[in-house]
This record gives sequence, structure tokens and C-alpha cells, in this order.
Amino acid sequence: MKNKKLFLKMYKYKGFYLMFLPVLVFAIIFFYAPMFGIRFAFTNYNGIKTPDFVGLDNFVRMFGVPSFWKAFFNTIQISVIKLVLTTTIAVVVSILLNEIINIHFKKAVQTIIYLPHFMSWVVTASLFTLILAPTSHGLVNTMLINMGFINENEMIYFLGKESTWRPVYYLINIWKETGWQTVIFMATLAGINTELYEAASIDGAGRWQKMRYITFPALANTILTVFILNLAKVMNLFESAFVLQNDAVLNTANVLETYIYYQTFNSGSIPNYGYTTAVGLFKSLVGCVLVLVCNQWSKKVRDGRGIV
Amino acid sequence: MKKRLMSLLMVAAMTSTMFVGCGSDASKETSATDAASSDAATEAAADEVVCPDEITIMVDATVFTEPNGRDQFIAKLEELTGIAKINVVQPDHDAYYDVVGQTIASGDWPDVMILGPTYLSGYASQGVLWDMTDAWNNSELKVRQTAFGGNVDVEGLMINGQLYGMPATRGNGCVTYLRQSWLDAVGMDVPTTYDEYIEVLRAFKNNDPDGDGQNNTYGASAAGFIGGEAPYINYWPEFYQDAFPSFMTENGAWVDGFNSDAMKAALQRMADAYAEGLIDPASLDQGTKDARTKYFAGEFGAFTYWAGNWAENIYQNLSQNDQDPEIATMAPIAEVGTYINRLSPAWCITSTCENPEGVFKYFIETMQDGADTQFLWTYGVEGVHWSTAAETLYADTDSPKEYAQGEFHGCDNLENPGTQYTKAHIDPKLALVELANDPGALSETAKASADLFTANCRNAEMVPSTQEMTDYNGALTTLKNTLIAKVVMGEMTVDEAYAEYESNPEGLAYSQAIVDSLNK
Repeated sequence: MKNKKLFLKMYKYKGFYLMFLPVLVFAIIFFYAPMFGIRFAFTNYNGIKTPDFVGLDNFVRMFGVPSFWKAFFNTIQISVIKLVLTTTIAVVVSILLNEIINIHFKKAVQTIIYLPHFMSWVVTASLFTLILAPTSHGLVNTMLINMGFINENEMIYFLGKESTWRPVYYLINIWKETGWQTVIFMATLAGINTELYEAASIDGAGRWQKMRYITFPALANTILTVFILNLAKVMNLFESAFVLQNDAVLNTANVLETYIYYQTFNSGSIPNYGYTTAVGLFKSLVGCVLVLVCNQWSKKVRDGRGIV
Repeated sequence: MKKRLMSLLMVAAMTSTMFVGCGSDASKETSATDAASSDAATEAAADEVVCPDEITIMVDATVFTEPNGRDQFIAKLEELTGIAKINVVQPDHDAYYDVVGQTIASGDWPDVMILGPTYLSGYASQGVLWDMTDAWNNSELKVRQTAFGGNVDVEGLMINGQLYGMPATRGNGCVTYLRQSWLDAVGMDVPTTYDEYIEVLRAFKNNDPDGDGQNNTYGASAAGFIGGEAPYINYWPEFYQDAFPSFMTENGAWVDGFNSDAMKAALQRMADAYAEGLIDPASLDQGTKDARTKYFAGEFGAFTYWAGNWAENIYQNLSQNDQDPEIATMAPIAEVGTYINRLSPAWCITSTCENPEGVFKYFIETMQDGADTQFLWTYGVEGVHWSTAAETLYADTDSPKEYAQGEFHGCDNLENPGTQYTKAHIDPKLALVELANDPGALSETAKASADLFTANCRNAEMVPSTQEMTDYNGALTTLKNTLIAKVVMGEMTVDEAYAEYESNPEGLAYSQAIVDSLNK
């Protein structure tokens, strides 16, 4: 009876179902069909020959090598710190932008800080490699020399030292992504009822108090939403790390996806896709757990609204 | 029946044309006369070979692409080889090996495909490729290559004495170019020993060789302190010398060159030069294009880069950048002995090919016939890729090019108008067989560089693929590269690096496992 009702409903809304069909087909072909490749994680890849089933051997090997764990913890650390930094700075910048009275100046600043988001990571990496080069052609080192902080023999290889790579990486991410992240916060700020500010002014509140008691509370839910949504994606880190890293900093810069890349393309042979698939599957599982945790967290803080 | 009839006709044709394809022309008749003196066994074996009616080849963009007149090229090739139909599968160049992998996995294999040494080794070990050792040993191609010295390059691709792919050219390699104007400015000659080389780098670094009054030059620069693919050390031969960071044979057994004292000494040399500021520190993370751009802009003086056409490119680019374009091509210093000739990509026949002997004889062997078919593979199709007609190219530009009747020249590029074709698949200067009536389209600069390299090179080694190599070499190479970078940059001593290499489970232990598998 229930099924009959459902079919009747489907028939009634057949137009909508028809419209949804391409999306379903697309999802099956491009999202679900490739998932059959997961089986390689349990095999020894043999090229043209049938892969040998090896059970959990690839996972055992993976958990037994230090480079995997190094890449795993690097991924978590880099992603989370990057997320916290860019979100925090985006909030601060949004609030500052919101305080600008001259609309033309505000728009100009917004446009300028949005622009880096549209640059590809390859171009960004080339640009910062040039700016930070440890040679007389590097802008930052030349400035430090001219200001007397270092001499010509002490030039700093910002992207070539483990101690400086991560701070520089975070700075580049902030430069590139802060503007884009402010879009959502600016939208929230624009939605705050101006009467609240007027009432606060009448009550004698200063700028800081208005920010503390009106702006921050209004933004809090949005900040949390953005944070949760991005936290679910922390395992997906490749392009930005790959284009900025080099052999000298792999201990601190190698993340899971670049680890897979090096395992695959540094082998000097036809790679064992079984092992790299296992690493990829583990990464996906961790990502999946994070999504579920964030979903629960989201439901708690957003009145039952999850992210999936 | 039809095939049998065809084969009989072919046999008859071959007694007069000998091993240069199913077609015939004057040049092939000349070859026939020469070949008639070859041994009877070779003739008998060859006579049984049937020309295939139709083959499918899988190629990257080193063969003319469709917008560059591929159809005309293939039509001419069919005419010259006698193969009635040559189907071409040509994926996007950058995705070539992805598509090769997918094709192999699908089971629908082409008859012929181009494979780089790494893939050749891997697919050969998996039985994808036809063993062409006997075909080559009994062929006129080997005679022609041996006469020209090209057989050495072919033998370099052998895996345990078996040949699974035929290179069309030498692999080529790098030579060191020095700015002549800088050498003149610092009053030094082209170095012949390591000590002299270091002195030249010192002078390039400290003696203001560009005369701008600033200390803003380096001795040498390159893309990375170690190459990303075999033969790894070709951008820094003067520092690595006899060291090799990967697997190589020594006294008939496989060893890992990274574990040798020679490698430790090489790393110390590089670290010393880096600490002294002779090496551009940005070499760590720059690409080849960055290194070239810096050289063209006059930022450093010694540049180890590809021999042959690149010498001309360097000359042209220095001119365009208002730099003195004169470059001294340095012969290998005494400690280096020879530059390394990398392994060339090769034409392979798959093991599912129905008539591999025929494909070898009529497709692969004719590619290097020293006559018309090789000319086609070297320069392309007359009227499409090259011409001898009197004409003026780029007449409406600032740099028109005028050619007299009979003067050989490349046609305007179909895909990129404004540039001319210089070669087809085979680089004339890297050919393994002498091409009769070669118009000699190479510039003197390119020729001099290529000649110097050819006279002073040794072949890189072909490393077989093993399961251990597949499993461990990715992690091992990554660790080696990290240690090399840290030592060169002075963040670790050589001893500290090797201590970590030995204690890291992905270091020496992996290396030994791979060596053991290679020596099985």
C-alpha cells in the first residue's frame, strides 16, 4: 500500500524525476562506477596479469612504514592549522571591511583580496618562488639585505628549509584564500539588522562593544558552519602542497596525496597501484569519518541541520 | 590464398629490393646490391616474412599529429612500406602512458607502440611485448646500424640479452655549455679537469664576468640537484663524475650506486660548491624552463643541457636577450670521462600481433632504411613538411625567409604558423643509420654540439623491472632525493645522511631487497 502510494507520487511528479535522471546517471558513471577500483587495494597489481589477492597486506605494509605516518600527520597538521588560520583571518578581514564607510574603497579592497583566489596554484607557486628566492633576484631577501637584517651570505631559503616552509605555506594560503572566504562572512554581516547597531549606539555602546555584542554573535553560526564544512575536507590536500614542496622539505611538507604521487611516479617502474590504492582508500575512510563526525557536530550546533 | 600470393610476390620483389620495404625505387635498388652480399641464412629467413596488410600503431606526439599533416604522412608511409593500411592511435601526448596503460589493461592491444625505457622494461617483464632479438640479429637493419655505430644504442635497450623495442634514434644527452664571453672576461680557458672547472665557477661567481659591477652571478645552475628520471645525474656530470644514485651493474652484478663511496664523494663535492655559493641555490626547486630562462638572462655561466638542437636554441635565445650568444661546448672533464647517453624510447611490437616478423621487417626495419622511408621519418612529406621550391616564407613579417629553387627548407608549421618544421620523428643528428642524401638541415652550432656529445658519451643502463622495484623504489628514491638535497644544502653532513639512510626502514633495506631481486 505504501509502495503503491510512492509509485503514484513518482508518477505524479514524473517530470521532476525525468529532470533528475541525468544527474543520477552522471553520479553513477563518475562517482560510483570508479569505486570498483577499490578492490585493487586488496591486490598486488600485476599490470596485464590478473591482480593477486593479498588481503590486507598492502595495509599492513602501509602502517609499517614511517613515511606513511609522517605524511598522514603532516596532512592533519597542515590542513587543520591552515583551516583555523584562514578562517580566523577571513573573519577579521570581513569585520574590518564591514567597518569601512566609503563604499567605493570597500569594493576596491574586496576585489583586490578576492583576485588571488582565481590564480592557479601553479602560477601562485611560481610567483612566490621568485619573490622568496634565496638569490639577489629574490624580492624578500633583497629587502632584508637592504634593511640590514641579513647580509648577502645569509640569504634565507624560505621554501627550502623545513623550519620556514610551513609558515610560508600558511602565509601563501592566507594571501590566496582569505578574500574568497570573506564572501560568506560579508553576506552574513550584510544581513545584520542595522537597527541593532542604532539601538546600541543610543544605549551608548562604542564600536568595540557593538562588534563584541552584535557582530560576533551574528557571525558565530556562520563561522562554525564554514569551519565544519571545511573540516570534513581536511584530507584533500594536494595541489597547494605539491607545487610548493621540494626534496629538501618533504619531512614537513609531504602529505598523503603527494605521498601517493611519489610512491607512484618515483618507482622507476610500472607502479604497484594496489599499494597506492590502499593508501587512497585509507585517506578516504578517514575523510568519511570526519564528514560523519562533522555532520553530528553540525546537527548539534545548528538546530538539527547536518552537512550531509 | 590471397596472402600466399602476396607473399610470393613479395619474395620475388625482395630478391631485387632487399629489406627496404615492399615498394621499390632507385635508392632501394642500391641497397639491394649491397644487401645481396649478406649471408644466405638471413635471406632465407627474410624471404619467409610476409608484409602485413593492416597494422595499428599507438604513438605519442613525437610522430606528426593530425593537425600537423599526419594523414599525409601515413599515406606516404603506406606507399613506401607497402603496408596497405596503417591505423594510428595517438592519444594526447601528456596522457600517453595513461592511455597505454588503459589499452593494455583492456586487452585490445595495438600491433606496435612507442614505449619509454621504464615502460618497456615493465611491459616486457609482463609478457606484453614480442621478443625481437632474433629478428634484429638476422636483419639488414643491424648491419646498417653497426656500420654507423647505432647498434650500441640498440644493445643498450636489451634486457638480459633480449630486445623488446627498437629505438629510432640515439637517446641523446647533456653537454656543458660555457659562456665564451664570460670565459674571456675572467681570462680562463675551457676547463679539462674538475679543479679547473671549479676555478671557472669561482671566477664566474666572484669576478663579475658580466661586467655590471655587481656580485649577482652564479657559476652553475640546473633543475634540481638530482634528475627526476634516468639517468638522474645528467645535469651535474662534473660533480657526480663516476657516481650514480640508482641501480647499475658492477662486475656483472647489480648494485645500488647510492651505497658507494663514489656517491658520498660526489655529494661532498656538491655540498662544498653550494656552500661556496658556486651553485645557484634555487636549483633545488626550479624547473628546466626556469634554469634556461636564467641562463638566457645571464644569471649564471655554466649550463649542462641537451646536445644538438638545443645548442642552436641557446644561441638564438641568448641573441634575443641581447647576450653574447657565443657558447663553448665543453668536452667532458677528465674525471667525468664521458657524458651519458640516455636510453631512447623504442618501437615495440606487442605479443598479440599476428605477424610480428612482418611488422618488424616492413614497418620497423624500413624506418631506418637509410633511404626514402627513413627520409620520410626524418623530415616528413614533401610539400607538407619540407620543400625545395623557390619561395619566400613570412614575407609580410620583419623577418622574411627566402629560399632558392632546390634549397631544402622546412615548411610553415600547419598547427603553429610562423614557425617552420625542422624534423619529423627522427632527429637527423641522432639517427642510428646513416641517411643517404641527408640535406643537412642542422645548424653548425647544433651539429658541433651533437658531434661533441656523440664522440664523448656512453649509454645509460637499462634496469629490468622486478616486483621489489615496483614495491619499494618509489619510497627509496624519495628518501634518496631528500637526503641528497639536505646534504647539498648543508643541513646534513654526508655521514649523517648515510646514517639515516641505513637506519630508515625505507632506505638501505629497500635498496638491498631491490638489488637482490635484480640479481636473482
